[in-house]
Amino acid sequence: MRSRSRKSRWVLPATAVSVIALVAAGCGGSDDESSDSSGGSGGGGGDGAPGATEESGVKLGVLGECEGPFGGFHEDTVAGVALALSNLAGAKVESKTSALDGWTGATVNGTPIELVGIGCGDDTADTISEEIRQLVEQEGANIVIGPLSGDEGIAVAEYAKANPELTVLSGIAGSQEPTLQVQAPNFFRFHGDGAIWNAGMGDILHNEEGWDTVAVIADDYSFGHTSAAGFIADFCGVGGDVTTRVFPPLGTTDYSSYIQQLPNPDEVDGYFWAVGGTGTQAALEAFVNAKGDLTGDQHAGNLFFNPDLAQALGTDIAGAYVGGFAVLPGDVQTPEIQQYLASADKTWNTLASGITGGEPGPPSAAAGFGFMYGYYSAGVALVEALEETGGDPSPDALQPALAELELDLPYGPISLDENRSGIVDVGLSQLVEKDGEIVQEAVAIIPEVDQTFGGTFSTDTPPPSRDFPPCEEADLPWVGNAIPVVDGKPQE
Amino acid sequence: MISRRSLTRTNAVVAAVVVLLLVLPAFGSDFFVRFIMTQTLILGLMAATIVFLTAYGGMISLAQLLLAGVAGFMFGNAALSEGARGLNLGLSPWVAVVFALAVTTVVAFLLGALASRTTGIYFLMLTLVYGVIGYTVFAQVVTISGPSGITSIVAPEPFTEPVNLYYAALVLSVLAYIAFRAIGRTNFGLAMQGVRDDPIRMSSLGFNVALHRTLAFTLGGLVAGVAGLLNVWWRKQIDPASINIGPTLAILIIAVIGGISYFEGAWLGALVYVLLNTYTKSIPLIDQIGLTPDRFNTVIGLMVLLIMVLSPEGLAGILERLSRGRGLGKPTQHSVEPPTTSTSPVRTGPGGLQ
Amino acid sequence: MAPDATAAGGIDGGDTSSVVQLSSVTMAFGGLLALGGVDLDVAQGQRLAILGPNGAGKTTLFNVVAGDLVPTQGSVVIKGVDCTRLPSRHRPRLGVARTYQKARSFPGLTVADNLYLALVGRRGRHMSLLWPGRVGRDLRDRARAAASAVWLEDRIGMRVSDLSHGQKRQLEIGMALATDPDVLLLDEPASGLSRGERERLTELLEQLPAHTTLLLIEHDMDVAFQVGRRVVVMADGLVVASGSPEEVQANSLVHEIYLGSEAHT
Repeated sequence: MRSRSRKSRWVLPATAVSVIALVAAGCGGSDDESSDSSGGSGGGGGDGAPGATEESGVKLGVLGECEGPFGGFHEDTVAGVALALSNLAGAKVESKTSALDGWTGATVNGTPIELVGIGCGDDTADTISEEIRQLVEQEGANIVIGPLSGDEGIAVAEYAKANPELTVLSGIAGSQEPTLQVQAPNFFRFHGDGAIWNAGMGDILHNEEGWDTVAVIADDYSFGHTSAAGFIADFCGVGGDVTTRVFPPLGTTDYSSYIQQLPNPDEVDGYFWAVGGTGTQAALEAFVNAKGDLTGDQHAGNLFFNPDLAQALGTDIAGAYVGGFAVLPGDVQTPEIQQYLASADKTWNTLASGITGGEPGPPSAAAGFGFMYGYYSAGVALVEALEETGGDPSPDALQPALAELELDLPYGPISLDENRSGIVDVGLSQLVEKDGEIVQEAVAIIPEVDQTFGGTFSTDTPPPSRDFPPCEEADLPWVGNAIPVVDGKPQE
Repeated sequence: MISRRSLTRTNAVVAAVVVLLLVLPAFGSDFFVRFIMTQTLILGLMAATIVFLTAYGGMISLAQLLLAGVAGFMFGNAALSEGARGLNLGLSPWVAVVFALAVTTVVAFLLGALASRTTGIYFLMLTLVYGVIGYTVFAQVVTISGPSGITSIVAPEPFTEPVNLYYAALVLSVLAYIAFRAIGRTNFGLAMQGVRDDPIRMSSLGFNVALHRTLAFTLGGLVAGVAGLLNVWWRKQIDPASINIGPTLAILIIAVIGGISYFEGAWLGALVYVLLNTYTKSIPLIDQIGLTPDRFNTVIGLMVLLIMVLSPEGLAGILERLSRGRGLGKPTQHSVEPPTTSTSPVRTGPGGLQ
Repeated sequence: MAPDATAAGGIDGGDTSSVVQLSSVTMAFGGLLALGGVDLDVAQGQRLAILGPNGAGKTTLFNVVAGDLVPTQGSVVIKGVDCTRLPSRHRPRLGVARTYQKARSFPGLTVADNLYLALVGRRGRHMSLLWPGRVGRDLRDRARAAASAVWLEDRIGMRVSDLSHGQKRQLEIGMALATDPDVLLLDEPASGLSRGERERLTELLEQLPAHTTLLLIEHDMDVAFQVGRRVVVMADGLVVASGSPEEVQANSLVHEIYLGSEAHT
């Protein structure tokens, strides 16, 4: 206020008026790049409902993450979709070194699949909500593939629920809620969730390794809770007991006070770790300092356990069990998997994937990791559903077709449950010592895991939290059905 | 004082902008109205509370988004009855609104009281600490939020309809704009400006400086809470990341881009911010010069830098200077001042005026 | 002396005409003793000039009376109320107004607003969010009158930051006078003023209403001896002499420590 309050200020609002007027007038034509565009939403009074445009093609938006903890996997997300369209819908990628440049020529039964935009999330629900609104309301997307992470999945499912004309296929968002709680009829998930990916571990540890009691330590946020919940539901389901649960906050660097809360190795049969990022190693080192040396057969972890831990912790970690992710462990090689990986290397020369640290690397390395594979699965589902409908992308036709799909994908078959969430195969592995080095070897494939865990999780239960689920026995459909894997070969 | 003629003209043009915004839904695209402008008005309203505290009180607050978030979280806790997280009080929506604003006001009062004896950079740092603590509280206390926040928030009728929400944001923005400007002429607002200029003098004139700062902060917090309600109605969810340091700084950046001492600047800055956020990546060939979407923050940073170099008074200051530079401005205060002001102090003293 | 007893007795101390009573006031800043036990008793309507070299403790004494400082020891009683530990913001309600050695007004506000704030400060409604109504208009009228009293009526709409140094001092005095104070503390009001301005200032102070008690710190002897009916001389945190202007001027000790060394500044 000071001096400016006394000066003439009419130019300021006047400029604001003209800026608003110009932008308002100009914003209707932003989708002018598409040859078959009707000009979008410029008309007065139009309700702007997604998919309401007259043309029959698929206007596809992809939600990735270009910032935040998974920002490095932006390339992977679009690459997954592009690979599916390249393999199954005749798409030709625009660039041999990046998927972000999109594709041309993707058609199913004569219906073109056009990439109208790539959303740039940052692992927050707020940002992904803005991004999907932009893809749908501004770019005119009628089908969206994504998002990548759990909390984003909830927000996107909520948006889908409010916009029934839209069809959303989840990328690789691993929280239970989008399907179990939000229950948007137009949100489809052709992959598992954070709990599913630890299914079967409790069965093996309790019934084969003889663990009766276990202490759980997991990140104190939704993915940590969900991942731990899958293990707890499984381990308790088969009769084991979880004696302690410890939840260090995300971003903890000194885990010693949390390790103090864990029982000593002689008081418990084993430990389950769901601590991610740099926390995995830091927490294990704090454990070694407080409780003595690791003995690998007393430990199990979710997907964050990996052979690299041996670099700091030594080979004592051998024997630890590791949960699965969307793909099977890398040593499992079937003709279908090899064909899939080869197709990625054929489509691009290099990809700057998160799995290669953002540097150009072999596309098959990205394709063999869960992030890209989740988006690939969604892309395949879209193509196959369009084939079912004869190319009709309208929600009335496409959504029932998606719900009925049974995909035969490289890493195993995927179908959907009544909440449109994937029933998937989970590959469990073990860290083993080979020639003085720690490697990850598949030990079992748990077939047809669904997200309810025999009723532990349902539409009536709260989302996983520090004290949910309780430790209770349950009737898990997959107990005893585990397919052993020997030397990378599933034993039928 | 304020040149009456220029003030009237300012008001007339502001009124014209408001009229334009009122009829905007008739000709603007849905996306522009419901996404761009609704977001602009909400962010502008939040940033206006920073302008209010800064321009009148000299208090640059980084806690405004936190207070907006408190209102949003509390509304979610109160209004939902079977949400996945939170208290699920199941109150009727308008009771929830009152509840949310009441809690926000109390929180703002307590935080304001705690900060009332600090000024300048210390006040800024303290409010930043508030923001960080607030983030942690909502991330850790699962009874009221937890890491995934409150989802499935539904606005009270009739604001479930996006256009109505736009009008709500517009009307509340206009009311806040008028009220904030009017407060400057009330005892409270004049005293705020006095506290800004010289708290010790204000104390010796009989004012309770700490209480005044506290109440100003509370008032700013209440309005931020109103913006926070609009925000959760628009976003339909809120989680700790919504009030993290990034978005917290964004509100301050909006105020700075617009011009931190102009109320108009808050909304102008918000418009620029939202437009940049939305359209930067759509500019053809933008990625050829390295500006991929993940560099958006770089673009904003460069914009802030550019604006600060051109004018510490932000875009509003630039526009004002342009208008004066081109001779478009009507007589400014300087030109209506008596020529004696430029002469020596002696001549303008009591003796000189005899 | 008597003040000790009355001050210790507190609120309803005997001498009703005594407006400001300081008893054994000590003010220490760390190891520095700024006031070393000052006793002072100022009667209503008295015009007291406080003299002393720089560092004598005059401004510290003012700050203690005005409540900006809480004395290390001793007590301050104003109009029968023990104000020793009462913050400065409670003074205006007792009718105390002060100026500062270096003009302290509100540069971002206009002359009118500065004067208005001074009036609101004493009259209350500090937190009113309503536009000033009838009472406000009344205060605005009084602010205008106060501006005229210090010859600032032509500057009433100007921001204080645009005022000259002398005008700021005029405003400072105007803000103190506007509230019609019972106790007026002026800290070197004449400093930085031209000769003509000082004459006007002296005239203004001589026209103060009879009930107003004036405490004046002033280096300018012409102003001090003309306005002051009683003069107190301070040195090294103590009152070293007290009496009528003539008595003080005749005091050899005063000559030695102050008048002799500094003469007219």
